[in-house]
Amino acid sequence: MPAKDYAATRYSRLAQITTRNAARLRPVWSFSTGVLGGHEGQPLVVGSTMYVVTPFPDVLYAFDLTRRGYPLKWKYRPDVNPTALGLACCDAINRGAVYADGKIIYNLLDGHTVAVDAVSGGELWKTQIADMGQGETTPMAPFVAGNRVIVGPSGGEFGIYGWVKGLDVATGKILWTAHNMGPDSLMLARPGRGRYRGDANIGVSTWEGDSWRRGGAPVWGWISYDPQLDLIYFGTGNPGPYNTEQRPGENKWTNSVLARRPRDGTLVWAYQFTPHDSWDFDSNAEMILADLVVGGRMRKVLVHFDKNGFAYTLDRVTGELLVAEPFANVTWAKGINKRTGMPIVDTTKTTGASRGNVQGICPSLEGGKSPASPAAYSPRTGLFYTATNNLCMNFEAAPVTHIAGTPYIGATTPYVIGPGGHGGEFIAWDAARGRKVWGIKEKFPVWSGSVVTAGDVVFFGTLDGWFKAADAKTGRELWKFKVGSGVVGAPISFRGPNGKQYIAVYAGIGGDWFLLSGDVRSDDPADVRPPADFAKDLAQHTSQGGIVWIFGL
Amino acid sequence: MVAACGRSDSGVSGGIPASIRYPDHVAAGGNQPPAVEVKNPIPSDSTVVADGGKIFSAMNCDGCHGGGATGWVGPSLVDGRWRYGGTDGALFQSIFYGRPRGMPAYGGILSPGAIWKIVSYIRAQPVPVTVPTESFK
Repeated sequence: MPAKDYAATRYSRLAQITTRNAARLRPVWSFSTGVLGGHEGQPLVVGSTMYVVTPFPDVLYAFDLTRRGYPLKWKYRPDVNPTALGLACCDAINRGAVYADGKIIYNLLDGHTVAVDAVSGGELWKTQIADMGQGETTPMAPFVAGNRVIVGPSGGEFGIYGWVKGLDVATGKILWTAHNMGPDSLMLARPGRGRYRGDANIGVSTWEGDSWRRGGAPVWGWISYDPQLDLIYFGTGNPGPYNTEQRPGENKWTNSVLARRPRDGTLVWAYQFTPHDSWDFDSNAEMILADLVVGGRMRKVLVHFDKNGFAYTLDRVTGELLVAEPFANVTWAKGINKRTGMPIVDTTKTTGASRGNVQGICPSLEGGKSPASPAAYSPRTGLFYTATNNLCMNFEAAPVTHIAGTPYIGATTPYVIGPGGHGGEFIAWDAARGRKVWGIKEKFPVWSGSVVTAGDVVFFGTLDGWFKAADAKTGRELWKFKVGSGVVGAPISFRGPNGKQYIAVYAGIGGDWFLLSGDVRSDDPADVRPPADFAKDLAQHTSQGGIVWIFGL
Repeated sequence: MVAACGRSDSGVSGGIPASIRYPDHVAAGGNQPPAVEVKNPIPSDSTVVADGGKIFSAMNCDGCHGGGATGWVGPSLVDGRWRYGGTDGALFQSIFYGRPRGMPAYGGILSPGAIWKIVSYIRAQPVPVTVPTESFK
């Protein structure tokens, strides 16, 4: 599955590559995808086949790992409506595929989920899940829990009415649809029953009028699953529009974590990280499941690095907040009240059309960490590993009109590099105590996912095109290799048919338009937009282009 | 809200109907506009340009094309390069009928008069000088 296991740990039990020999890593194979867009997500290795999904046009490649040079077994070229290119807020990316029941299942950008025979590449089913006419696109990686495929849309910048859906793995039929706000009947919430503690119709009462109908709350990130509790966990995105004055109230359940039953979608509990979001702090980042000793007690927890700059450790049985501490530079809040779960907001940083240009908000709306850059957890070290951004922003909101299928934003938000002058940092985090253990500072924001192995080696990439290995215990850099383009994908580790451990990763900068600034964005020769003002020299180090790399000893 | 969003503006010419209601204005952008040449009936002045700028923001154009039309999801409109023609009439048709790869048809959502103001706003933006060589230190 996309994040290795149900718990979304991105932890590999392979231990051939160690802190002692990682310096001897070398590239053993590479492949150009022929696509220039941002290469987020990760390859998927099932048995002796590696599957790669490209950004739009969402081609699926299957490589035979048993033969020299890993030749192509087949490729599947779906028919994807190019209208999606104008509706995807943040590049025409794809976050990867999931394997289940002999099928490779992934989303096409134009609102379809497809299942392809993992052996033959033949299309088994194709289901329309999203409506581009409403501004919905579908770059997220589907997740499979039991016999349900769980999918959600992007479109938090287009005034969508956010949802998740459960599809039948066998047929692709949509079995349930659960909205993230609105009446309880549409949220599949039953207040007073089970652990769900929301007030009746809180998805309506925390909005003004019918603003919830176009209130955003996309589901474009990652999903995890606890089979014992039979709960899936996922984050919801920002409320729309960015101009807060068009949606008074806490706007539940935007910027939240929701726990639902995969079978029928029932909402079991929810917790909102950023009520009445003023800053586009989506909560789509992964929810990593672990068992940690917190405050002297072993707890079943969920760990989440939010765009708002705080790392949260929650009890995943009940949703109780255990730890919430900043992992990045935060100015919008002084902290999180552990008793109420509410942020202690610095009201001078609250935005809105009548509040003018609000200065010095950290993190920026790109997040203290991009949700597109999933973290990893090693049960050996007990630490979480994540890319972070050190960016701040000004935020000037304005009233906007809702027109279905067009942007619903209403804000201008230039960024600057935060205190210290480094664009980002790759960090190790102790989620039981809420503190950083070590960090590797980088010149540019760090936008890649990570994988950590039983050899205590952690891997990540940088926007200036380095792929790096570090000691998971100390943060000491062990090895690096220039992969040809900035890394926004997530590395994986797999055992080849020859029994050897390999590491695979995509190079291919993109995924958010500011990363495509200046001549970095070469897909359109007619485009000569000026470089982003906070990273003028990014174009000195990288340009676009998708490459799949495999490294080994 | 900007008054120009109303649908009563005049400014119809060259066979462009006053208003079209598309059942799906996003997908409508994949259709070829009629092969007629339309001429801008509104002389551009600073008031028209300022109005156009307000409409550009209020009707979500900046959501795709960026603040100042410098490009985001959609291409820059101020780099002097045009995929579908850069005359006033071609710009009008791109906005009114939409274009493939995601530009919705705004005919029926915006009046022709409001679209002409947007055209005037875009045409008034300065085009940067292209520098072929960039040196890195």
